[in-house]
Amino acid sequence: MSADPQHAPQASAGRAPDVFKPGGWVPMRQYPEIDEVDFVIVGTGAGGGTLACKLAEAGFSVVAMDAGPYWRPLEDFASDETHQQKLYWTDERIVDGDTPLKMGSNNSGKAVGGSTVHFAMVSLRFRPDHFQTRTKLGYGADWPIGWQEMWRYYDEVEEMLKIAGPVRYPWGPKRGRYPYRAHPLNAAAEYLARGAEALGIDWTETPIATLSAPRGKAHPCVYRGFCVTGCSTNAKQSVLVTWLPRAIEAGAEIRDLAMVGRVETRNGRATGVHYHRNGEWRFQKAKNVVVAGYAIETPRLLLNSANDEFPDGLANSSGLVGKNLMAQLNQAAWGQVEDEVRSYKGPPSLAISEHWNYEDSGKDYFGGWSYMSQGPLPIIWAKSLAGGRSLWGQDLIDEMNRNNHSVGLKMVGETLPDERNRVTLADETDQYGLRIPRITFAFRDNEKAMIKHAVDFMDQSLEATGATERWKEMNDTCHLNGTARMGDNPTTSVVNADCRSWDIPNLWICDGSVFPTVGGVNPSLTIQAVACRTGDRIREMAARGEL
Amino acid sequence: MAQASQADGTVAIRLIAGGATTLASSVLADSGLEHYRGSFANKAMVLPLASSAFGIAVNGRRAQQPESRGTAAPTVSHVGSTAIGLIGLGFHAYNVLKRPGGPSFTNLFYGAPAGAPAALVLAGALGKAADTLAQGKDRIGPVELASGRAIGAMVGVGLFGSVGEAALLHFRGAYHDPFMWLPVTLPPIAAVSLLRDVIDDHPRQATMILLGTTAALGLIGMGFHAYGVARNMGGWKNWRQNILAGPPLPAPPAFTGLAIAGFGALLMMRQRRRHG
Amino acid sequence: MVDRFPHYDVLAKRDTPSWNPQTRKVIGDRLATEEPEVLTPGQRATLRAVVDRIVPQPEQRPATNATALVLHKIMTNESDGFRHHELPQVREAWERGLDAIDAEAQERLGHPFAILDGDKADEILRAIEQGDVQAAAWASLPAMLFWSWRLIPDIVSAYYAHPSAWSAMGFGGPAAPRGYVRLQANRRDPWEAAERDDGRVISAEERNIHVG
Repeated sequence: MSADPQHAPQASAGRAPDVFKPGGWVPMRQYPEIDEVDFVIVGTGAGGGTLACKLAEAGFSVVAMDAGPYWRPLEDFASDETHQQKLYWTDERIVDGDTPLKMGSNNSGKAVGGSTVHFAMVSLRFRPDHFQTRTKLGYGADWPIGWQEMWRYYDEVEEMLKIAGPVRYPWGPKRGRYPYRAHPLNAAAEYLARGAEALGIDWTETPIATLSAPRGKAHPCVYRGFCVTGCSTNAKQSVLVTWLPRAIEAGAEIRDLAMVGRVETRNGRATGVHYHRNGEWRFQKAKNVVVAGYAIETPRLLLNSANDEFPDGLANSSGLVGKNLMAQLNQAAWGQVEDEVRSYKGPPSLAISEHWNYEDSGKDYFGGWSYMSQGPLPIIWAKSLAGGRSLWGQDLIDEMNRNNHSVGLKMVGETLPDERNRVTLADETDQYGLRIPRITFAFRDNEKAMIKHAVDFMDQSLEATGATERWKEMNDTCHLNGTARMGDNPTTSVVNADCRSWDIPNLWICDGSVFPTVGGVNPSLTIQAVACRTGDRIREMAARGEL
Repeated sequence: MAQASQADGTVAIRLIAGGATTLASSVLADSGLEHYRGSFANKAMVLPLASSAFGIAVNGRRAQQPESRGTAAPTVSHVGSTAIGLIGLGFHAYNVLKRPGGPSFTNLFYGAPAGAPAALVLAGALGKAADTLAQGKDRIGPVELASGRAIGAMVGVGLFGSVGEAALLHFRGAYHDPFMWLPVTLPPIAAVSLLRDVIDDHPRQATMILLGTTAALGLIGMGFHAYGVARNMGGWKNWRQNILAGPPLPAPPAFTGLAIAGFGALLMMRQRRRHG
Repeated sequence: MVDRFPHYDVLAKRDTPSWNPQTRKVIGDRLATEEPEVLTPGQRATLRAVVDRIVPQPEQRPATNATALVLHKIMTNESDGFRHHELPQVREAWERGLDAIDAEAQERLGHPFAILDGDKADEILRAIEQGDVQAAAWASLPAMLFWSWRLIPDIVSAYYAHPSAWSAMGFGGPAAPRGYVRLQANRRDPWEAAERDDGRVISAEERNIHVG
């Protein structure tokens, strides 16, 4: 057995954990700190991990750091909600605003592979118009990338993750068949399907990043239902078990338990990163620095890196670093049915309707939303009931004991970019001595109108399937985006379409923070598609000597 | 020569009955597993188990003792298998169609399959044919049996049915292993070759070889499926889940059963050509 | 309330393929967790009483050690990864909160919270839930925020981390390497809980004895 991955770095001495084999190792190239590597990447999640693979395969020397541990899911993950808290970013963060966000297990990962180690695997493409909401739909901001180009990168990511999805997808422009077939519906998903059919709208099997057939050394999904607490089957196609093994094989180095505290600059260029590992602060030289810490840690690092050259933080001449934080709406409708649903079985969201991402009429708000079937584990469900219905005492226990007959639908809804929703630095510091983030968030009228429409609609869907004792869970959010948006104009964006910062030509940002808008779909597929595009663009620019 | 003919005829009956036995075995194991998965929610779900078990006994006896005259039991078994298979087809279609989405790929993948009850129908029909021939009769109603062509046609169509089932379910598995292409490429060639022989009334050596390969494929396929079960989480130690979650062990031998019966048909065709 | 899943016990699956070694260790450690010496004896007594009211122990099943688990969290001062800006860190929030609950009971009823009978205790708790508080101690700790951001999540998370609570709700419990096969409505794998259904030939009790 190896030492505890939470307390001792695993990727060292020329090897990294083999995620497919208990106790196994794979050889890993390592780079001396004094060598100026081509790229140091901060974060190994959907953005950073994917980009590490693409850049290493393009022949660059790459060191990718993650603050979290390097797990081997087969031997390190227990079937337990509480224990698996170890996957989440639980370092202190202050939340405020009218709708203070719940962080931690809700949206933040701290592990090699990032939040994809515990994500719900829902892998959706943006609606094409949602890349140009300002021009086409009159709200938000346009992406500087066209949807046709993104469509190609979606193809690449879906193939890489062997997404299991329907043979024909009901919405949007034609897309190729998903690489793997859809999973069977569980009872909770059937309730979504029946409700949608009763209301006369389309539904489909959710395209999902868990295997419906074997793949290499990875087992297919066993429908154990603990997806959001980490997949001990390796069926989940997280960055940890897909992009990163490929990156290592291509010569990238992963440094686990490596918390980057500051990006160093000199003469207007980034020179490397200061990082904390094995109890001490160290420095890695690099020709390019990529920040990929997701929508909280990315602005936090840029702001914490303020120096004499860049007193307001790096890449922040627009003043937009940390602003336009967009959490997605995650409200739900629930009810009770005669059937034994037992929604603890299978991935939580096996059926989906994107109807309201593609239908604009009948809305008194901007933006889109999708909704999915649900399968909350006991602690999450208890918190929903206690928080959403104010149940406690015997009332709570009795309601919990009816859980096998509970059925619900949950939205993933778009929030509009708003500069007042933002990440700043608090005065308090963390265990590394770094100032912790303060996260300010509030729903505005647009979000409130969308929530009302969505929960009413989901409630109708449940009613149409015969669910009784229905109730609405009004206060939940998921996913984080924005805070370092991409655009065509240096005064209104932080990075350009290539994820390159306007201010510092060798500083890049590649994660959900670059999203100008979030659409009504889970972001991980889009983050990976952007990372693939960024990798290709960097390779092209390097070939032309434009780095 | 008459004796040789007699012997050939006996071998053909043995093969046809043997094919029916193998098919019925495949149905018994498959419906046993799948209806156990379905928790025998409908009491009628025991019927294919009973009728395929009965079919194994009757056809197995016929394969061992081709001349036995027998009682009414064989007829009851064969008619029962055919009827239960046909009713099963109806039930299975209903099971697929009542699911949300109706006749969608997902429902065809995960709903009740058409292949299993169809195999039961075939087992009944082949058994009845073997019986009829053993009793020295050469036709069932309007269907002429003695030439072997009708039985050959039935086997050819049956093979296409099995190929369809394998194609659907291997598509469900996204053909993740290149060997999954075998049962959708080789048996169709055997079936085409057999049907050509039937139409031309001319048994060819190539068909014999193709049917032999198809028969072997059914057994090899079972091996592949056993490996597939082992590739699921927990492997064979977790057999209670994986025997149901993994690829179905009893499915591939349906090819073997059909190919064996196909041999019988070819033998009859050859015998008649030889002896006029 | 009748037990919906009579004789069902998640722990009966401990030595089956439903539990991998790491799960056995984690749950084993949890079941063995005892109350650590943290906080004052008075605060601990208040916490025990609060836990008993928020999450009553399951009937006819082994009691959970929810209080011990909450105390453990308080001892390690373990963050959830976020903190409402008006609340202090875990341990300090609980120290102040438990003192304030007790002060509220003293103020309203003249007794420590820990000795109140159920109805009286609930009356105090409801006041805190609704922010209708009188004790001065709440000045530095907004009652409703403490309730919804600290007290409720911590206590229900501790209680529903215990196998007794899982068994009572008919939850499958740990599931790896073995997951589930029968995903449709009204279908159960033989290693899942059977729900009481008086119409069935084989009773739920009988089925649940054989879950494993």
